[in-house]
Amino acid sequence: MAKKLMKGCEAIGEAAIHAGCRLFFGYPITPQNEIPEYMSARLPQVGGTFVQAESEVAASNMLYGAAGAGCRVFTSSSSPGISLMQEGLSYIAAAELPVVVVNIMRGGPGLGGILPSQSDYFQATKGGGHGDYRLLVLAPSTVQEAADLVIDAFDLADEYRNPVMILGDGLIGQMMEPVEFKKEIKPEDLPEKPWATTGRAGRQQNIINSLYLDPEQLEAHNWDLHRKYQRMAKEVRYEAFNTDGGCDVLIVAYGTVARITKTAIDMAREKGLKIGLFRPITLYPYPTEALVQTAEGAKSVLVSELSTGQMVEDVRAAIAGRRPVGFYGRVGGMVMGPDELVEQAEKLVAVHV
Amino acid sequence: MPSVIIDKDRCKGCELCVYACPEDVLAMSDEINAKGYFVPIVAHPENCTGCRYCLLVCPDVAIQVENKGKVTKPPESLTGKPFSYCPGCTHGVIHRLIAEVMDELGIQERTVGIAPVGCSVLAYEFFACDMQEASHGRAMAVATGIKRGRPDLTVFTYQGDGDLASIGMAETVHAANRGEKITVIFVNNAIYGMTGGQMAPTTLPGQVASTCPTGRDVTLTGYPIRVVELLKSLRTPAYLARVTVTDPKNVLAAKKAIRKAFKYQLEGTCFSLVEVLSTCPIGWGETPHDACGWLQENMVPYYPLGEVKVPEEATVQAGS
Ligand SMILES: Cc1ncc(C[n+]2csc(CCOP(=O)(O)OP(=O)(O)O)c2C)c(N)n1
Ligand code: SF4
Ligand code: SF4
Ligand SMILES: [Mg+2]
Repeated sequence: MAKKLMKGCEAIGEAAIHAGCRLFFGYPITPQNEIPEYMSARLPQVGGTFVQAESEVAASNMLYGAAGAGCRVFTSSSSPGISLMQEGLSYIAAAELPVVVVNIMRGGPGLGGILPSQSDYFQATKGGGHGDYRLLVLAPSTVQEAADLVIDAFDLADEYRNPVMILGDGLIGQMMEPVEFKKEIKPEDLPEKPWATTGRAGRQQNIINSLYLDPEQLEAHNWDLHRKYQRMAKEVRYEAFNTDGGCDVLIVAYGTVARITKTAIDMAREKGLKIGLFRPITLYPYPTEALVQTAEGAKSVLVSELSTGQMVEDVRAAIAGRRPVGFYGRVGGMVMGPDELVEQAEKLVAVHV
Repeated sequence: MPSVIIDKDRCKGCELCVYACPEDVLAMSDEINAKGYFVPIVAHPENCTGCRYCLLVCPDVAIQVENKGKVTKPPESLTGKPFSYCPGCTHGVIHRLIAEVMDELGIQERTVGIAPVGCSVLAYEFFACDMQEASHGRAMAVATGIKRGRPDLTVFTYQGDGDLASIGMAETVHAANRGEKITVIFVNNAIYGMTGGQMAPTTLPGQVASTCPTGRDVTLTGYPIRVVELLKSLRTPAYLARVTVTDPKNVLAAKKAIRKAFKYQLEGTCFSLVEVLSTCPIGWGETPHDACGWLQENMVPYYPLGEVKVPEEATVQAGS
């Protein structure tokens, strides 16, 4: 298939259609309105359904219903809207329903701003709503990768019967890049979901539920979920760039900041400083082992995020004092330039000679 | 001669059947069943005319009636699991009516029901069709998700007044306004039953509840919301009715409305909502029989019974 120049948000929408998804429920919020807008135009063309929900609370519960009835279903929103979806996501995780949720993060807390941010890392990777649960979280750093990960997200959601979140930021959503879609799945070719509420003809009753009044049963359910999250560990994905033969500073960054790091790597090279990049693609499960191994070849580690320091906690826990770990963050919609990253790397080297 | 068969194990001794029988066939006895309830006996079998009034009001599907060699059966769309409701709570009557309608329309195998959060949270254990358990107030959003994804399925929600008219009011208004082709059974008992009798948006003026211990003060909490009248103001066609199940005649009328509410969905006509005025003997501090009287005396005047909107009329309105 020929590559097509597309905006990140549109590529995400089209990728969902290529994944065989024919249902979208969502509520407008900047900076991701192009996704619902795209779906509202495209879904009717392919026999699908777009519903503008009355709120993100409602949208997340529409997802619950549709996923429970066995449909591939997806929604997108941005930070404040994702906060409202936490109710549905907790129930979806509890009832083990496959859904795909896109969060094009903007600055917070509160209404915050509408510019790019990565400040929902904790919310995305540590559960987000109430109860012991995890989402599988994928962080693209290019438009092509966003399209690929959206298609994979539907398969992963089905495989683990778990909500999958695509965690992007405003830059990924708005930038235009050439994209191709790696596969096209027809909804009718998707495997049956024998557990779904599709009408009980010819079988026992199916129930989609998250209520366990018996504490022993709830405990068993909690550990079942926990074991599932452990099984998901094999899905870790990451990119290690410019790390062969070791480096002076290993920058750990995801999404947009990882792109900026690649420019910083070139700038640093001219100054005789070798920067490597470790880019987690799955934020949950976190590629801890790969990070530790990659960091062995680095003199020090610098975590950079569009937050005041969230992923850095996971990195520090992984490195566990074996290397100095610095942090550099910009927030509020401010994005660091590659020169800032080089400067921070130089400082780190100067301190830890 | 017709005869009444009482399933003593299912009985909760609410006495509603005894009051409902116009011929004094039934009477309470000293016999205590395994659950610890006094059960009724057939004291005057010779008086039975086979009217089934006792069966109609029994909230626990504990009565069957034999007449001319034919015995009534519990609806197949119920699993048979004993209801978790308090003795005499009319949630059970409403469950039975929905199940009877599902049986009669032959839709059990294509129906998905949605249980709410409230006393009927376990409804998924009682209805024999596929079921989903929704979060508090979101049953109609869940129903929307199912129906839009699988329009071939028949989808109904079962919701209390706290669930539907307080925390879920946005979902209610918007599902109705979008004209979702779903059936909503709205159980209005003027109170939060499950959490211990707090004030609901439907609690009557002056009615005592655990969070309005001196009675609902409308100057501070507003007036009880009349849900069907509120939804009637929407231009989108809908079937909206209010019924109750306090006595045999009303039970029959309620079933008729519920049946219509499903038929409109099957025909793809419109959104349907049947509000059922229901008792909460525990929350109101009344015996089951007195609770029915209290409902008739206090709720019915504020919440008038009948069809409030039918889709045919709405279509005419829409053209205006
Ligand atoms: C988000 C949330 N808030 C509050 C509750 C607690 N809660 C459970 S049931 C209920 C009220 C139910 O009342 P109603 O809908 O009238 O049903 P009834 O029990 O009277 O049949 C409340 C407040 C909850 N489960 N979830
Ligand atoms: S109405 Fe049903 S539950 Fe109540 S006393 Fe009669 S048989 Fe028992
Ligand atoms: S608390 Fe009220 S509504 Fe709930 S089961 Fe008991 S009587 Fe019925
Ligand atoms: Mg109630």
